[in-house]
Amino acid sequence: MEKLIIGATNYTPEICLDPDSSRISVKGKSYPENTAEFYSPVLNWLENYLDNAHSDSLTISFDVSYFNSSSSKVFLDLFDMFEAEADKGKTIIVNWIYDKNDKDNLEFGEEFQEDYATLKFNLIQKESEEDPFAN
Amino acid sequence: MVQTLYDFKRDLSKRGIFLSFSGPISQDLMVEMGATLKQKMKLEDASKSSVLRVFAMVVENAQNIIHYSAEKYPRKKQNEKACGGEDPVKCCESEELSLGIITVGYEEGYYFVLCGNMIENEKVKGLKEKLSKLQGMNKDELKQFYKAQRKQKPDKTSKGGGLGFIEMARKASRPIEFDFKKIDEDLSFFSVKIII
Repeated sequence: MEKLIIGATNYTPEICLDPDSSRISVKGKSYPENTAEFYSPVLNWLENYLDNAHSDSLTISFDVSYFNSSSSKVFLDLFDMFEAEADKGKTIIVNWIYDKNDKDNLEFGEEFQEDYATLKFNLIQKESEEDPFAN
Repeated sequence: MVQTLYDFKRDLSKRGIFLSFSGPISQDLMVEMGATLKQKMKLEDASKSSVLRVFAMVVENAQNIIHYSAEKYPRKKQNEKACGGEDPVKCCESEELSLGIITVGYEEGYYFVLCGNMIENEKVKGLKEKLSKLQGMNKDELKQFYKAQRKQKPDKTSKGGGLGFIEMARKASRPIEFDFKKIDEDLSFFSVKIII
């Protein structure tokens, strides 16, 4: 299966789906005008991957400094897919990376963690970026 | 008109508004407004969490306007021409612009986001009920409602997740204020104020 890499823009994150290392990363900002349309290739890729993957673990990193409410709904769809895999015995690790000055983002991570007990959440604090206000 | 522009500017200032836009709202415009807003608040030494919250409110409101404003600028002719008139409805959709007002201000020690757009009269009742319900909820109830709502499959009329206002209510420091002004048989003007 091919890797899927989507480059970042001002309002969409960089997404990297790597079947060889069983790693997925979402990094940047997420507030596209049409969230469903933006994430549809990601969801399709994942469905395909999860149907065919033989690896017994999967690591997902979310390092998203801002996401709008409809993105948070898509993240929930992703977690639902991961939960189904965890129920089949796969180890799913979610690294939720947040800026130490951004309590709201930590709270978002905690709330996802509360809802998905079978996923192994790591809430990882990172130092503020040099210019936290840069767009 | 040229003699009264200053009055308009002063009127905005009196209301505490330091950033305002009225007209067609696009994703790109919102992104640039957001960037300038962050820069401005940074210069005022606002905390990172206030900057992010105000920014988030502007994004949610702007995207609500883009998706739901009943006042559109379809530029039908150009589009029909551009795509050979084969599917004018589809062609218009991509080029359609939505009109609304976005303002950001500061009063009594709090930032606020005040936005408005036209909506169809038949949507007023539902939105009023939804917002009134949010007004009556405390932070914990809002959290539970948010989580429950996030799990719902999106309804047909919702282009986002239907979560925007709940998220705003959660991040606001006071209940969301709103108003509906009936304009004519078809349309009302909806305005909403969120204090951060």
